[in-house]
Amino acid sequence: MNAIETSKLTKFYGTSRGIVDVDMTVNEGEIYGFIGPNGAGKSTTIRTLLGLIYATSGSATIFGKDVIKSGPEIRQEIGYLPSEVFYYDDMRAIDLLKYSASFYNKDQKVIGTRIKHLAELLDLDLKKKIDDLSYGNKKKVGIIQGLAHEPKLIILDEPTGGLDPLIQQQFFHLLKEENAKGATILFSSHILGEVQKLCDRVAIIKDGTIVKVEQIKTLLENSTKRFKLELVNTPDASAFDIDGVGDLAIANHSVSFLYRGRVNDITKILAEQDLIDFLVEEPDLEEIFMHYYQKEDVQ
Amino acid sequence: MNVFLRELSAYRKSTIIWCASLSAILIVFMALYPAFTTDVAATKQVLSQFPEALRTALNISLANFFTIYGFYGYLLGFALLAGAIQAMNVGTGIISKEVSGKTADFLLSKPMTRTRVVSAKLAAALTIIVITNVVFCVVSYLATLMAATETFAAGTLFLLASTMFLVQLVFLALGAFFAVLIPKIKSVIAVSMPTVFTLYIIGTLGDVLGNDKVRYLSPFKFYDTNYIIRNVSLEGKFIAIETAFIVVAIAASYVIYIKKDVRASA
Repeated sequence: MNAIETSKLTKFYGTSRGIVDVDMTVNEGEIYGFIGPNGAGKSTTIRTLLGLIYATSGSATIFGKDVIKSGPEIRQEIGYLPSEVFYYDDMRAIDLLKYSASFYNKDQKVIGTRIKHLAELLDLDLKKKIDDLSYGNKKKVGIIQGLAHEPKLIILDEPTGGLDPLIQQQFFHLLKEENAKGATILFSSHILGEVQKLCDRVAIIKDGTIVKVEQIKTLLENSTKRFKLELVNTPDASAFDIDGVGDLAIANHSVSFLYRGRVNDITKILAEQDLIDFLVEEPDLEEIFMHYYQKEDVQ
Repeated sequence: MNVFLRELSAYRKSTIIWCASLSAILIVFMALYPAFTTDVAATKQVLSQFPEALRTALNISLANFFTIYGFYGYLLGFALLAGAIQAMNVGTGIISKEVSGKTADFLLSKPMTRTRVVSAKLAAALTIIVITNVVFCVVSYLATLMAATETFAAGTLFLLASTMFLVQLVFLALGAFFAVLIPKIKSVIAVSMPTVFTLYIIGTLGDVLGNDKVRYLSPFKFYDTNYIIRNVSLEGKFIAIETAFIVVAIAASYVIYIKKDVRASA
């Protein structure tokens, strides 16, 4: 059985587009990345799956059950962490987490023990009032409320904002542990790097439509990097005229381009240049879409 | 049950404040009653010199004002205004706070139907209003007992006091309806105060202009204190109108709440 399956899932907010004909299949037990620029439709898809918003047309099932008809039953098995977390400011973290736990038909003592374990792991003071917590610590509360009941499906909508790198690492470790225990994870992000670190497969969404679903392995093989060079002299553009180079920009002694291809080929070109400095970084998604996916007219 | 208890806990402090405030209104006003009755003839003469429209606007009936029921009925008019604000605040706030506080994502992504969420919240709101009215009735009785210079029937007094509960129910339902109808309520007071005062002024204007039909438009005029004192009963047709209004408002609140999209909180 698939953990998530959508068929031509479409959502319009009045006349403005949310998502259009989204077909998505997430297998049980996989970590599925969902990546796209802001406004692409990631949150709309997730909110439709959770029954927070209603689809204009199409259908969605989770563990074979319709997300609207069997919403409460399905949500017993879901842990959800939104991109921005808001909780009741007058509550202490522990009270909020106990309140959250009370919605699930599971042994409250077991959840209670897990809450304490996760709080220790993430270094969160449970006695503090929500109002007194920093944004990062509120996010930790969010992680705990999403994972405490050991859900079979974990839905994360851009979950890493506000987490420092150490906690982020801890969080990814936790997710891998949950996945090893059998949990399916839907991980939405606009940061390619974090999806690459965690996911087995990834769906790329743009303008409300899924444009590509790839194995992370394939994505890594085809990974695109942005190169920024500082040179002693103004370089000749023809030196960079090889397959895989795109978006080439030369200004005085600086060169910037996107490259997808064999690393050896590009390092040979670099070795021929009189370099002062160089930087290799991940391009943002917009750049990838603009210079690769659109070129290839991927559907 | 968890949402119900959570809401009761969240509203505990404000319920205590409202109960204390309404009790203070009752005690202070009723404490003045003996002063008004020491020289009824002189006070009546002063009041009779007021223009009739002003007396009507102030809800002063010369026939009843100097009786314990009449005096209680007079102060009830002001208590109702405060009670209506409390009920409307609770009705509007208990539903809308999940959107204004951006906690709707948390609550509605839990395994609970929206029908159950609304039911739990409305049950909590009703409980708050019942608690307020129990306190209101008890303090009404004690304050009247303390101030009365003549014997009085507790039944008539409680019947008068029960109009607080009935008027609060109308505003509770109206508040819940507004909460689901208005997309983003930033301030509950900004919704409740204008609504309550508008309906209060409409009722008062109806009295001043002598237009009896206005009674149907203002919940403050549904239950006439003079009628209750005379007949020791409530007007059945207004109970029917109120019931119909509450049923429609609450049913509409359920339907809208269940069907509406919960947009992203960011």
